Amino acid sequence: MFKNILFATSATEASDHAARVAFNMAQIYDAKICIFHVLGVPTRGFSQLVMDVKTKEKVEIDDEYIAWVEEEIKVHYSKQLKTAKSFNIKVCVGFPHREILREARISAPDIIVLGGSTGNDEDSVYKNSTVGSTLQRVAKAAPCPLLVVNRPAASFWGGISKVVFGTDFSKASDAAFKFAVKLTKNRRCELNIFHALDISSMHMGRLLTQDEIESQIRESLRRIRGRYIDEMKEIKDYSFDVWEGLPYIEIVKYAREKHADLIVMAHHTQKSSNEDARLGSNIEQVIVRAGCPVISINK
Amino acid sequence: MPEGKYCNKKPIETEEELKELLGDTGGKKYYEEMKALDVDSELLWKTIGNTLKSRTKTWLEICAHCGMCADSCFLYLINDRDPKQVPAYKIQSTLGEIVKRKGKVDNEFMHMVMETAWAKCTCCNRCGMYCPHGIDMGVMFGYLRGLCYQQGFVPWELKIGAGMHRIYRAQMDVTNEEFVETFKWMVEEYEEDYPGLEVSVDKEGADILYTVNAREVKHYPEDLAEAAILFHLAGENWTVPSSGWEQTSLSMFAGDWAACKMQVESVYSAMERLKPKRMVGTECGHAHRATVIEGPYWAGRSNGKPPVESIHYVEWLAEALREGKLKVDPAKRIKKKVTLQDSCNYIRNNGLKEITREIMSYIVEPGYFIEMTPNKEHNFCCGGGGGFNGIGIFRPQRNKALITKRDQLINSGAELVISPCHNCWDAIRDLEDEYKIGIKWSFLKPLLVSMVEIPEHLKPKE
Repeated sequence: MFKNILFATSATEASDHAARVAFNMAQIYDAKICIFHVLGVPTRGFSQLVMDVKTKEKVEIDDEYIAWVEEEIKVHYSKQLKTAKSFNIKVCVGFPHREILREARISAPDIIVLGGSTGNDEDSVYKNSTVGSTLQRVAKAAPCPLLVVNRPAASFWGGISKVVFGTDFSKASDAAFKFAVKLTKNRRCELNIFHALDISSMHMGRLLTQDEIESQIRESLRRIRGRYIDEMKEIKDYSFDVWEGLPYIEIVKYAREKHADLIVMAHHTQKSSNEDARLGSNIEQVIVRAGCPVISINK
Repeated sequence: MPEGKYCNKKPIETEEELKELLGDTGGKKYYEEMKALDVDSELLWKTIGNTLKSRTKTWLEICAHCGMCADSCFLYLINDRDPKQVPAYKIQSTLGEIVKRKGKVDNEFMHMVMETAWAKCTCCNRCGMYCPHGIDMGVMFGYLRGLCYQQGFVPWELKIGAGMHRIYRAQMDVTNEEFVETFKWMVEEYEEDYPGLEVSVDKEGADILYTVNAREVKHYPEDLAEAAILFHLAGENWTVPSSGWEQTSLSMFAGDWAACKMQVESVYSAMERLKPKRMVGTECGHAHRATVIEGPYWAGRSNGKPPVESIHYVEWLAEALREGKLKVDPAKRIKKKVTLQDSCNYIRNNGLKEITREIMSYIVEPGYFIEMTPNKEHNFCCGGGGGFNGIGIFRPQRNKALITKRDQLINSGAELVISPCHNCWDAIRDLEDEYKIGIKWSFLKPLLVSMVEIPEHLKPKE
C-alpha cells in the first residue's frame, strides 16, 4: 500500500517523532523512503545566499555545503537508516511547503510523512519565510495522503489495529473514507467512523434543546450508514458514533477512548467565503492535539 | 596579470562556465583574481569613443558642481552627508575621470569605480529630478556599469546574473520547460477552488500576453497561480509564451549590454510570434524598465516601443477594477493602516503614480491609506535597487541604505506596506529582518485574491 514514502523533515528534534513513524512504516511495508530536507530558504534577492534552517546563519550554498548537510542527516538518522531497505536523501533550498510539494509532484510518493512544527519560535527560519505554516500549505495541496505526527505521544505506529475516520459528509470526506477503508482492509483492523455534531457555531448562538441534539445525532447516524455501509462489506470490526460538541475536541477524545492508532480525515480544499477559512481549522486542531498520527486527505 | 579563470573580461557563454563561476562560493577566488585584472585602456577608450553620446558628454561638461543633487540622494543623506556621496562628485570622480584620462586608469581605480557604481548608486534617478540642468546621474551610472562590465570589474553575483540571462534567457536557472510545467502545476493546484482555471501556452492573438520574473517560478510559484486566478476572474483572454516569458534583466544591473539585448529580444520575439493585443508584466519594477522602457532601444527599435503595447501589472489591475472586471468585496477591503512603496522604475521613470493610488482607492477602506513622505516621483529608493540587494560584498552598505526606507515606514505609522515590485519587496523584507520594526509587506496579487468577489458562474460547486 505504501511503497514509496516521502519523509519531509526539519532534521531537528521536532521531526524525531515523525521519523519513528516514517521508518516504522517503511519497515512494515518494505517501502523505499526518501528523506527530504529543505536546508534553507532563499534570501537576498537573486543571490546564492540562503538562511540555514539549523544555524540560522546566512550561508552561501554550494555542492560542498549540500554534501555536508546530507552527511549530517545520515548521522542524525543513522540508527533508523539501518532498518531501511532502500532509502535516499535529498536536500534542497527553497520555501519548505513548495519544495515538498514539488518533490511530491516529481517522485509521486504513496504518502508524505511530515515532521512536527518547528515551533512558534520567533526566529524559526521556516516561519519567517512564508505566511502560514508548512503544514497548512502542504495539507491543502498534497497530491497524496499526508501523515503528520505532531506530538511525541502521537508517534507510535507499530501495528495498526484501530483506525478512526472522522467525517463531515463532504465530498472530500468521501475520498478520505475510501482511503480509510483501503487501509483497514490492508491491515485487517478495526474501523471506527465518527461524526461530531458541531453545536458551537451552527445555530447562531441559539441553545439547542437536548431533544433537538439527539434527533440530529440519530439523523447523522442514518447518514453514516447510508453513505458508507455498502463499501464496508469486507470489514469485520467497525463502529459508528456521533457525538455532539466542538468537532476537533470530540474527535481527539473519541480517538483516545478508542485507543486509535491513526486518525484519517479530509482536508478541505474548498475555500469558505468568510473569515473562518482558517484553512480546515478542524483537522489542523486535530493534528495539533491528537494522541496518534493523523492522515489528511484532500482529494 | 591579465585574465583570471573566474574574473575576466569574457562574458559567460556556456552552462559549464556558469556552473564553474557559481562553484566559486561567495566569489572568493573571483575577487582575488580581480585584484590582478588588467585594464584594457585602449579598448575602454575606443568603446567610449563609440558609445559616449552627446547627452552624456554634455552632462559631464555642464555640471556646475552646485551641489543641488546632494540632498536628493538617499545614500548621501544616510552616510552622514559625506561629500564623496554627492551624486555629481560620484559620477565626475569615476566616469568623468575615465573620460578625462582617455581610459588610462588602473586596477585600483577600477575597483573604486566598481564600488561607486554598485554600492553608491542604485540608478534610482532621483537626482535627475533635482538637478537644475536636468543631469541624471542614474542614467550615467547605468552607462558606467557597462564600461565596468566590459573590463571585468563587476560584482560576482551580477556576472552570474547576466550569465543566467545568456544561458537561460532568465535571471535564474529556470528552463522554458520548467516555466510551463510550473505554471500548469500551479493551475492544477488551484483549479478546485476556481473551476475552469487554466493557463494556455502560446495561444495566438490573445488579448494579454503575460510575462513574469523567474524568481516567481523558482521560489514562489503561488504568484503565478494568483496571476492566473485574477485573469480568470476578470474573464480575460490571456496566454503565456513558452519562451520569452522572462521580463526581468539582471544584465541591465550588470551592465552587460549584449545580454540586455538578447534577453529583451526573446520577449519581443514571443510578442511577434503570438501577436497578442497587449503584454502585461508582473509586479516588478526593473523588469518594466528593461522590457518596456529601455528595451526597445537595446533592440534597436526605431519607435522606442515594444512590438505590442506593453503595460505594468498595476495598469492592468487598475483598469480591471475601474471597468468592473474585478470587483472588490467592500467588506474585505484593507482596514488597517497601509502605505504604498512607489517603485522608482515605473513611478519616477514611467509616471504611474496615479494608477497605483487609484488601486488603493478600490482596495483600502477610506481613511486607512497613508502616504509615505516623500512619495510618488519623489519617493526614495527602497534601498536595494539596481542590483544592490543581491551583492554580497556590498551588503553592509546595502543594510545601511535600508535605514532611509525603514524610517519612512516608521514615520508613516503604517502596519502594512504594499509593494508591487520584487526588488522593493525584497528590500522591505530584509529591512524587517535587519531592524525588526514590525512592518508587514505584500504584493498586490495575494491581497486582491483575498478580496475580490467571485462571479456566481465561476464559484465552485459542492
